[in-house]
Amino acid sequence: MKLALPKLDRKLLRDIGRMKMQMAAVSAVLACGVVLAVMANGMYDSLEAARDAYYDEYRMADMAAGVVRAPLGVLQQLEDIPGVRAFEARVSGVGLLDMPGRSEPVSARLVSLPQGRAPRVNDLVLRAGRMPAAARDNEVLVNEAFAEANHLEPGATLAALIYGRRREVTITGIASSPEFVFAVAPGAMLPEPERFGVLWMNREALGRAFDMDGAFNDLVLRLEPGASQPVVARDIDRLLERHGGRGAYGRDRMMSARFMADELSSLKTMAGVLPPFFLLVAAFLLNVSLSRLVATERSNIGLLKSFGYGNGSIALHYAKFALVFGVLGGIIGAIGGRAVGEFVAGVYANVYQIPDLGFNAGAGVYFNAILITLVAALAGSVQAVRSAVNLPPAAALAPPAPTGFGHTGGIIDRFTARLDGKSRMVARRILRFPRRSATTVVGIAMATALMVTTQHFPLSMDRIVGVTFGVAQRMDVMLAFSDAADDSILRDVAHLPGVLRVEPLRTAEVVFEAGSRRERNSISGVPEGATLNRLLDSDLVAVQPRRDGLTLSQNLADKLAVGPGDIVRLTATDGHRASVELPVVAIVKPYLAASSYIEIETLGRLLREPGRVTAAHLLLDRRQREAFSARAKQLPRIVSVSYLDNARESMRELLEQGSGFFNGMFIFFSSLMAAGVAFSSARVTLAEQERDLATLRVLGFGRREASYVLLAEIGALLLIALPVGAVLGRWLSAWLMAQFQTDLFTFPYVTSAVAYARPALFVAVAVMAAALLVRRGVDRLDLVGVLKSRD
Amino acid sequence: MPRMVQARDEAPVYRLEGVQKRYGDGEAAVMALRGVDLTVARGELIILLGPSGSGKSTLLNILGGLDRPTAGHAFSGDLDLATASDADITRFRRQHVGFVFQFYNLIASLTAEENVELVTEVADDPMGAAEALALVGLENRREHFPAQLSGGEQQRVAIARAIAKRPHVLLCDEPTGALDVATGIRVLETIVRANEELGTTTLLITHNADIASIGDRVIRFADGGIRGIDINTSRARAGDLHW
Repeated sequence: MKLALPKLDRKLLRDIGRMKMQMAAVSAVLACGVVLAVMANGMYDSLEAARDAYYDEYRMADMAAGVVRAPLGVLQQLEDIPGVRAFEARVSGVGLLDMPGRSEPVSARLVSLPQGRAPRVNDLVLRAGRMPAAARDNEVLVNEAFAEANHLEPGATLAALIYGRRREVTITGIASSPEFVFAVAPGAMLPEPERFGVLWMNREALGRAFDMDGAFNDLVLRLEPGASQPVVARDIDRLLERHGGRGAYGRDRMMSARFMADELSSLKTMAGVLPPFFLLVAAFLLNVSLSRLVATERSNIGLLKSFGYGNGSIALHYAKFALVFGVLGGIIGAIGGRAVGEFVAGVYANVYQIPDLGFNAGAGVYFNAILITLVAALAGSVQAVRSAVNLPPAAALAPPAPTGFGHTGGIIDRFTARLDGKSRMVARRILRFPRRSATTVVGIAMATALMVTTQHFPLSMDRIVGVTFGVAQRMDVMLAFSDAADDSILRDVAHLPGVLRVEPLRTAEVVFEAGSRRERNSISGVPEGATLNRLLDSDLVAVQPRRDGLTLSQNLADKLAVGPGDIVRLTATDGHRASVELPVVAIVKPYLAASSYIEIETLGRLLREPGRVTAAHLLLDRRQREAFSARAKQLPRIVSVSYLDNARESMRELLEQGSGFFNGMFIFFSSLMAAGVAFSSARVTLAEQERDLATLRVLGFGRREASYVLLAEIGALLLIALPVGAVLGRWLSAWLMAQFQTDLFTFPYVTSAVAYARPALFVAVAVMAAALLVRRGVDRLDLVGVLKSRD
Repeated sequence: MPRMVQARDEAPVYRLEGVQKRYGDGEAAVMALRGVDLTVARGELIILLGPSGSGKSTLLNILGGLDRPTAGHAFSGDLDLATASDADITRFRRQHVGFVFQFYNLIASLTAEENVELVTEVADDPMGAAEALALVGLENRREHFPAQLSGGEQQRVAIARAIAKRPHVLLCDEPTGALDVATGIRVLETIVRANEELGTTTLLITHNADIASIGDRVIRFADGGIRGIDINTSRARAGDLHW
């Protein structure tokens, strides 16, 4: 049975059949936008849903509070605090691990497990093996990332050094926890799964090791829905104050949760910024293609109107072209977006220890992506549809007036007068159709800009790594001590083998207050003239810590809404809980998470705990690295030994996760965009210039000379577009870097000639390839047919 | 051989032997030319008459190097247009052939003078663009773009462009088809003038039998072949025509 398709729709299908290359160009650009939208939004939803489900099912803590040593008896009062749904009073601390076959010390956070039941807060997922037996005090679980990085299986044994005492432990199982989706060592900025792990062991055993029998030092809790976190925090702080409470805090100060939030926010940025780029360009392309279609269909439109077709059906007819292009782009993009999303989810699953993290974009993600694609396509068709509707039938049936060219006078005439005939044709056409020329220029420029931007991210990351681990941090080793140690420990450290230089660091958790604003963050006490760990401003100038006031990082200053000269109240969260007011004396813009700085002795005095250090930076004789490692493990207060070269590698790996894939994808997409623009533009030029090109051929110009007119137009527009794209790209890069800034990272805008040269080359190749594809039409020109036909 | 032709030149401009042109294959094949033999002498003005589809345009296209015979030979000098390479044919068009079509096919983005210069820039021994435009009586319209010229003026620019390279042959395919009588006569006068003053061999296709009297010979086409050749012992003046 023959399909009873309305005649206009049959015409539509045949016309589309003839326009399939243009359709491919437009739909490909649309599809790129959809791929990015589906991937980024879908990944955002998947990651958020997986995180929330994980947090929910395994009872991720809403709040936590550290305390020096609180007796278990306090817990009864805790139960009376309104808003607390569940809590777990734990023993936790940091120790060194002695791993078989690894000379460098590895650190671990040790966390207690309640006896004979699952934790009420921050529960564990047992991935392999079994829980430690209640009666055994030498059995542990290790976190999955650490086990994977170090190839640990249940049954393996480790030696833990707690307070300098060595204990042999056996791994009974491998676990994950919402608390440690990322496990970050104390004092470190980034997860280093090879060198930092989490060990869970029975409460009794760990309590003994940390001297916490009948006491706890780590409280984690979940809140009732609707409970006020600040109110609960105040009650807890009051309760724990006499036992050395360090202040309750929320998920915003939990490192792992912050990483997740950062990642989600950059996905959101990506989803918001990139797809519109492609959709906008596709709308431009559609506008050009459909306007040309309406121009060639002029007499058909006149006929249809004379037959009595109304404006509505004419408008619908041409709008359907846009809808077909849009649906095609949407479907291809949705399929591609799903494939890319699944790949990206694989990358994420590698980095994040979240169970069931896959690409699970809901129907809404696809629906929205296709919907905005259709909207973009329809928007691109508006002008063409309107001109079809506005064409009076009588005028539509008459041949169009010849394109009017005239003298524009002045500089343009003088310029074109100096060209040969063919170049003059090119120049005059570009100037005669400024809007269309501009569309091509803008499209190619946007593709260039996008590619320029993608070239800037690796540069920015290189700069972060290079500056952090070359200019700012110049130590070989960073030691972290348990709690604030007496600075006499520096003498012991100085005597370790190979140590050439020691510089102390004192960090403390404090609450900053300025006006009504309140931020919990850390403050670093740094010695004047420190050379191993320097505080750098964004222009890489070393900034000295001051005795007369605070040096704040820009993002902390922004959060507190303060500038130099303003007064900030600073309250320690532990120890004597000293509280002082200090002026802000300088603002710096470091790349890595930053907070505030002050001269180290001044900090000790302000905290009323002089002569304490929390970390030390060392310069090491590399030949004595092994000997140093072996001895450092034995110093009781050292909880972490991290080598700068390892940290640099970890950071590079983290930053480069999936970046090669993304880089390749963006180069491909932007090339596709540039080629799509060039292809559409060249097709229109060919269609409109058919007669001129045939004339040139008949006048005795060869194919190459006739092709010149076509290629030179695209070439000239390309030459205009590249610098525009470079400028746009520079601006877009800087803007995007700012958008991607998080609490943990500031992406500096770093540029290089290659970041412009490479995109220019790729775009030029894509554009010229598309133009050459269209150029074959010159060879196929039916000279006689074209010249004997009326326009 | 007609007297006038022999008097003008000894070597013919074209020599056609059994030229055939078939479009398509098998059952759908159409024979546009069924074996044409013709000799064209230098300086002749030949009128090709015949109904649509009789093969006259096909012949003109073959003579101009826009199309190739499927059988036979079409010599212009030593060059066989049936077998010459694409490059040779392009060079042939560039150096020896001027075309005029019913629709003027001027380049809209170039002025009258620039349209002519397009040809003079690449020809071997062209006349100046100004000279060519003067020859067609448009010396005052040099700076005008096609959209600023009337149809007759556009066609005269097309003729100026065609003759500016001093071609050996001028091939005109219904040059007056889109023009009113007065303008058409003006255009024919221009073509005749080029033929007489420059000695350009001219072949002109028309449906209009009234125009036939301006030629040296009138070749009548029907059904893909020559059905008869009339020789005008004296050529009528274009200005005396009526239709």
